[in-house]
Amino acid sequence: MTRVVVVDDHPMWREGVARDLTEAGYDVVAAVGEGTQAARVCAALRPDVVVLDLQLPDLSGVEVITRLVAGESKVRILVLSASGEHQDVLDAVKAGACGYLVKSARREEFLEAVQRTAEGDPVFTAGLAGLVLGEFRRLATTPATGTGGAAAPRLTERETEVLRLVAKGLSYREVAERLQLSHRTVQNHVQNTLGKLHLHNRVELVRYAIEQGLE
Amino acid sequence: MGLEAPLWRALAVFRLAALGYAFLLVLNKYRQFAHPAAGWLVLAGMGAWTLLVWVAYREPRRRGWQLLLADLVVTAGLLLVTGWIGTGDRWRGGAGTMSGAWIAAPVLAWAISGGRRRGTVAAIVIGGVDLVLHRDVTVNTIDSAVLLLLCGIVVGHVARLTVDAQARLQRAVELEASTRERERLARGMHDSVLQALALVQRRGAELGGEAAALGRLAGDQGAALRALVVGHPPQPDGVEDLGVRLDRFSTGQVAVAAPATPVPVSSSTAAEVTAAVGSALDNVSVHCGPGAHAWVLLEDEPAAVTVTVRDNGPGIAPGRLEEAAADGRLGVSQSIQGRIRDLGGTVTITSAPGAGTEVELRIPRRVPGRQA
Repeated sequence: MTRVVVVDDHPMWREGVARDLTEAGYDVVAAVGEGTQAARVCAALRPDVVVLDLQLPDLSGVEVITRLVAGESKVRILVLSASGEHQDVLDAVKAGACGYLVKSARREEFLEAVQRTAEGDPVFTAGLAGLVLGEFRRLATTPATGTGGAAAPRLTERETEVLRLVAKGLSYREVAERLQLSHRTVQNHVQNTLGKLHLHNRVELVRYAIEQGLE
Repeated sequence: MGLEAPLWRALAVFRLAALGYAFLLVLNKYRQFAHPAAGWLVLAGMGAWTLLVWVAYREPRRRGWQLLLADLVVTAGLLLVTGWIGTGDRWRGGAGTMSGAWIAAPVLAWAISGGRRRGTVAAIVIGGVDLVLHRDVTVNTIDSAVLLLLCGIVVGHVARLTVDAQARLQRAVELEASTRERERLARGMHDSVLQALALVQRRGAELGGEAAALGRLAGDQGAALRALVVGHPPQPDGVEDLGVRLDRFSTGQVAVAAPATPVPVSSSTAAEVTAAVGSALDNVSVHCGPGAHAWVLLEDEPAAVTVTVRDNGPGIAPGRLEEAAADGRLGVSQSIQGRIRDLGGTVTITSAPGAGTEVELRIPRRVPGRQA
């Protein structure tokens, strides 16, 4: 059974989400309201999926994600955000979240998203695809800062094509039909785009650390 | 400690310097005095008063009318006594009194404390005493009275300006602090309001019936609020972030995808593109019914800005567009095409029955990488 940890500072929301997940057959091993607590609980319980609210009282969403990803467990993080603030969402995904959903999403959408996250399939809403597409274009046009900067990651033509269709609201199935690809291939393309972004983010972090003289 | 404090400090320094000058005057002329010993005594009195008010004026709350009045009376009194010391003749014909510029100090004090009007009153009092002392009116005595008056008015004016400037500065600082605090609070509050709206929407959908309608309402309001509060850096004059404009279209039925960074275009371009997207979305709700969903994608490339509006409606049968054009019933799509063509852009409409309709607006950037 898929083990899930719910992190949200709003008690009613936390309970509602936990109840929905339990009813859908997930094992909700913990539901906590703070970032530091979440990091501690996840290190001990090693859940498969973390459903994380970006707005927490103690830590920023990116910080929580960084701590969760830093642990050795292969935890998958689905980010929920009430405001859907673009930069926050993009930063969360770059830090290692596998998907993002606004809190106004319907119950079925939410459960589907959790299921896909558990399967390791990135949850790309149209909005997120637009953000990621924009980020790759930004990286391509901004010159790398400093010497030895990592080359900006680039999308292949196919990946761009897939991402554009997802950003226009097409489901993976519809994308597969339109491009005459298998569903699996579409999934792989989307996963690759996210992988490139994570990798670039990690490389950038390491480079930053070296530049600042940190080990 | 405000901007007024330096003025009071300057006054104390002035008084001390004027006292030094008076000392030199007495040292130079005491042999000619009718009462030389009294001259030194008066100088000592001036010194004592200078020290006393120096200390007294340092404390803002002691700068009341009692002290100001005492300052004026004592100074005027000392000035009168100098007349007795120097015997009539000595001061006639415009020769300066032994107290010299020192008598201007209370005029300055009055001016700093209360502006032009008080400065003028003090100047008239001291100037009047000075004139009485000299008995006959000459150019020189008039000159010193006028200088005293000017002194009172100018310093009073400057003091008033200083106080005003300080009040404004204070208000600006307070406003800035409260704005920043409000923004910080608003961020947290918007998030919890959005959270609550999302919760209502979610529970409403689960309960069904009337609650579901309420839930949908909460969802739409949430989307509107989200579009309003999502922060973007301000753009320079005449330039707008197209992303912010298009975000306002997002509702429960319309999803807007855009880059996280601003997409700067000229204000006129933003207005035209927004109007075109609005028409396209109107078209969706007219032709595809209330259940249809629409997606707006904004892409920012070095060469062009592309906006795509897609719906999941029934689509347009081949030839339908041409047919409608022949009937002269292509209002909406023509208005979209007109607006975009005026910007030097192109409109591409792709559709197939059952596969929805996609309207792509492509607006070239005049200078690559610069605003469209």
